[in-house]
Amino acid sequence: MNRRLSILLLIAPSMAVLLGVFLIPMLLMFLLSLQDEAEQFSLANYLLLVQDPYYLELLWRTIRVSLWTVLCTLLLGFPVAMFMANASGRVRGIVAVLILAPHLISVVIRNFGWVVILGEKGWINETLLWLGLIDKPLRLLYNELGVVIGLTDAFIAYMVLAIATSLYGIDTSLYKAAAILGASRIRTFFSVTLPLSLPGVVAGITLVFSLSMSAFVTPALMGGSSVKVIPVIAYEQIMSTLNWPLGAALAFLLLGSSILLVSLFARLVETKRYKEVFTA
Amino acid sequence: MSSLNSMIDVELRNIQKRFQQNVVVKDFSLQVERGEFVSFLGPSGCGKTTTLNMIAGFLEPDEGDLFIKGKRMNGVPPYKRELGMVFQTYSLFPHMTVAENVAYGLKLRKVGRAEIEERVKRVLDLVKLPHVRDRYPKQLSGGQRQRIAIARALVIEPSLLLLDEPLSNLDAKLREELRDELKRLHQEIGVTTIFVTHDQEEALSLSDRIVVLNHGCVEQIGTPTEIYNQPASEFVHTFIGKTNKLSGRVTAVAAGRVTVETDGGLTVEAGEQRQPFVAGQRVHVFIRPEKIRLTDAGRTPNGGSGQLVMASFLGAFTECEVRVGDHLLSVKVQMVDSTLNLNPGQTVGCSWNSDDVLIMPAARDAG
Ligand SMILES: Nc1ncnc2c1ncn2[C@@H]1O[C@H](COP(=O)(O)OP(=O)(O)OP(=O)(O)O)[C@@H](O)[C@H]1O
Ligand SMILES: [Mg+2]
Repeated sequence: MNRRLSILLLIAPSMAVLLGVFLIPMLLMFLLSLQDEAEQFSLANYLLLVQDPYYLELLWRTIRVSLWTVLCTLLLGFPVAMFMANASGRVRGIVAVLILAPHLISVVIRNFGWVVILGEKGWINETLLWLGLIDKPLRLLYNELGVVIGLTDAFIAYMVLAIATSLYGIDTSLYKAAAILGASRIRTFFSVTLPLSLPGVVAGITLVFSLSMSAFVTPALMGGSSVKVIPVIAYEQIMSTLNWPLGAALAFLLLGSSILLVSLFARLVETKRYKEVFTA
Repeated sequence: MSSLNSMIDVELRNIQKRFQQNVVVKDFSLQVERGEFVSFLGPSGCGKTTTLNMIAGFLEPDEGDLFIKGKRMNGVPPYKRELGMVFQTYSLFPHMTVAENVAYGLKLRKVGRAEIEERVKRVLDLVKLPHVRDRYPKQLSGGQRQRIAIARALVIEPSLLLLDEPLSNLDAKLREELRDELKRLHQEIGVTTIFVTHDQEEALSLSDRIVVLNHGCVEQIGTPTEIYNQPASEFVHTFIGKTNKLSGRVTAVAAGRVTVETDGGLTVEAGEQRQPFVAGQRVHVFIRPEKIRLTDAGRTPNGGSGQLVMASFLGAFTECEVRVGDHLLSVKVQMVDSTLNLNPGQTVGCSWNSDDVLIMPAARDAG
């Protein structure tokens, strides 16, 4: 009884904050999204979103960019996580700092850094031109590729740290056991390392996917006018067009599809075996 | 290869291993015959695991050659050595069922499905755990995990089985049970085995031969009885079991028999020794507690009488301490051969056979 009460008291402040700044505004936004221009209750906004091909393409583009970002962070991040897992505590710390240090700088500045690097006169294009590998500059910016590059840079730390954490938990004698049973290093990776790092991979994918779906700054800066994603359009509806109800409906479309996809993914991954192996 | 050599499954020739400046394994040479059970016995940090890891291929020797089945193995990676190994921490794959764990090595060898099924079943029967095949490792007890680890190592029919302290994580009773199990398995399938332990009882009961290691050096290689009865060094004798150590001086050497006058005032006669002694030499005399008999005071052909200081009953035997002269002797008394009342303070006699007395030269600084 006493214990219960003290727990309630302990979580009360954070609950109050969550309620005040998160749940109540969410509720108000939701009510807003159910209004038409005459401020009458209506489902018109949602009907528009699911019927207009423009908005369906917008949704699909947002998902597509997020999936590419997940794939890039996974493929680039896994080796870094493996390196950290094999390194000494000191090296792990150094690598973690190197990965997190860019987050000390505003994402706006980092994106502008990319603009300088990837632009038509950026050093990548200049170098390739100079080497004669291309004869006109590649388009690396203001398209989906640019957005994926920017988002990968912004979120790869989450993927690396999530995977590294689960790799740290693997008993290294399992690698010896696999080797002595006849497994080459590649076999060991696919049959031992990868399956045992699954909880970290799942966490990383979920994190990076949700973050990419709702990312605003990077698509706005590196996608230009051609790669608009839901957060960017929602922003425009609210700030420029002043169509708040449609902006709110877009926000809930984003939230709903993120939750749906993430839970679908969880369903897919969490097989009977996964639960038996990874839950206590 | 001569026919003599083909019976040697493992050969270490002057193996040496350094970590930075520390020499961890020094000039290790050993031949293990087909079907033999050899133990590496020694205190913590003496280089047992390091040597085993060199045989397995996880470490490369800095000097010397390693042969398995007559083939030089230096530089061959572990996954090409066709060995079985059981680790101290079991190291079962947590994401695979017992059957999948056991089948792992067979799948890598591209054995057919039906045969895998058959061999997994056979080896699980061998370790008497056919009913756990569909469980995950964490659903097994410690002893069961260890048996499955052994099954996984054996199923590939390795040319050599390496065991690194496989019993040390188990409680005392289970240890003994699995020790007997290991012995039975070895008798049944006869796989050449190298067993690492720091427990002398395990080594004595299981091995055909024991390699006693200390600080990376081989102290002695011999059968359990040789190691126990004819230790090559003081280290071997003291490591293998409890003992009484008395300092003294040789007074007479005649017809292989050595007489020592101890500093505590005892005269000890010893039978033939591995090394020669001369009169006047400073020596240590060793007598094991279980080799000393308690008798009525007075009649002591080789021994002395003294006062019983302490007696603690331990079930199968009683551990006593007897003050004889200036020495405090530990004596292990089997209750069967004793009709004595063991009351502290009473006077008792201690006697032993001269053949059970071991003499070692004292180190120079002690003389
Ligand atoms: N990778 C390493 N780097 C440096 N020193 C090491 C390394 N591995 C082992 N050593 C040292 O080598 C010595 C022998 O180690 P080893 O693990 O072979 O001992 P052991 O006989 O197996 O001991 P235990 O019974 O405790 O397992 C120890 O002094 C240890 O500190
Ligand atoms: Mg060891």
